[in-house]
Amino acid sequence: MAMPVSQFQRKNGMKNVFAGLLCLVVANLAMTVTTYGAEDAIVYIGWPKTGQVLPKGRPFRVWFGLRNMGVAPKGVPFPNSGHHHLLIDTELPPLDQEIPSDRQHLHFGAGETETMLELPPGKRTLQLLMGDDRHLPHAHAIYSTKIAITVR
Amino acid sequence: MRWRYSDFLHVYDFERRDMFKLLVAGAMMLGLQATGLINGCIAATSSPPDAHAYFIWPADGAVIHGRRFWVRMGLRGMGVAPKGVSNPNTGHHHLLIDVPLPDFTEPIPSDRNHLHFGAGETEARIALPPGRHRLQILIGDQDHRPHLPPVYSAPITIIVQ
Repeated sequence: MAMPVSQFQRKNGMKNVFAGLLCLVVANLAMTVTTYGAEDAIVYIGWPKTGQVLPKGRPFRVWFGLRNMGVAPKGVPFPNSGHHHLLIDTELPPLDQEIPSDRQHLHFGAGETETMLELPPGKRTLQLLMGDDRHLPHAHAIYSTKIAITVR
Repeated sequence: MRWRYSDFLHVYDFERRDMFKLLVAGAMMLGLQATGLINGCIAATSSPPDAHAYFIWPADGAVIHGRRFWVRMGLRGMGVAPKGVSNPNTGHHHLLIDVPLPDFTEPIPSDRNHLHFGAGETEARIALPPGRHRLQILIGDQDHRPHLPPVYSAPITIIVQ
């Protein structure tokens, strides 16, 4: 800056005040338009309901509900998004590790929001767990309540 | 370290030899960009034949008490991806409120009657004034353009009280 500081301040004092006000206004606007935090995200199994009895040998549709958050396929690091993992007859995996991928941990890495499922007869549990672009649960792990269904 | 003449000779040699390759690569990249542009302008993103969008909730003819309600948007045979994500067979929801389907060759308008869910949302809390309202879902690709064939739901009518 070739200009001495005092001169610069005198010349741009009002500008600075206006810039400061503008910053405040912008900050306030940003505060009123709250971005969805992962803290208030809710994932749930929309269908079937817990306790439901389903006929064996007939595939049924499971739809995944997600609120205050978006769905993004695997490998897409979009803010506040993730993809669904359906846990069947299993407990939550360690939440600081990649979600396993097997018959009990179904990945929906293409951004699917529902699936057809056929399960062997018996009591079954279903639970949803959100994973990020690298299949890791989020910092605030987002998972649904576990539902119990009966196939017979 | 002392530079010798041969070092510079080597650099010079390298440049001469590879300039042609660089030019070819540049031309190819330009060509790719051009085809990408043309694709973006002419060919729409294709959608799988069995894909369809639907309203999980509200149901057609539903009566809503109170002005605010959740809309749950369902998508079959396709995945949800935020805007700007070009994964095959993906798109994001657009909720059309009290308007007919827009021109499928243009990006979906973004206004109070065309809500974009570009962050990959599958549910939205919306508020509507009392009265009859027509809702319809239209899926858009990474550039907010409808797919080919376009994926949209049957329209529903709800009554807000």
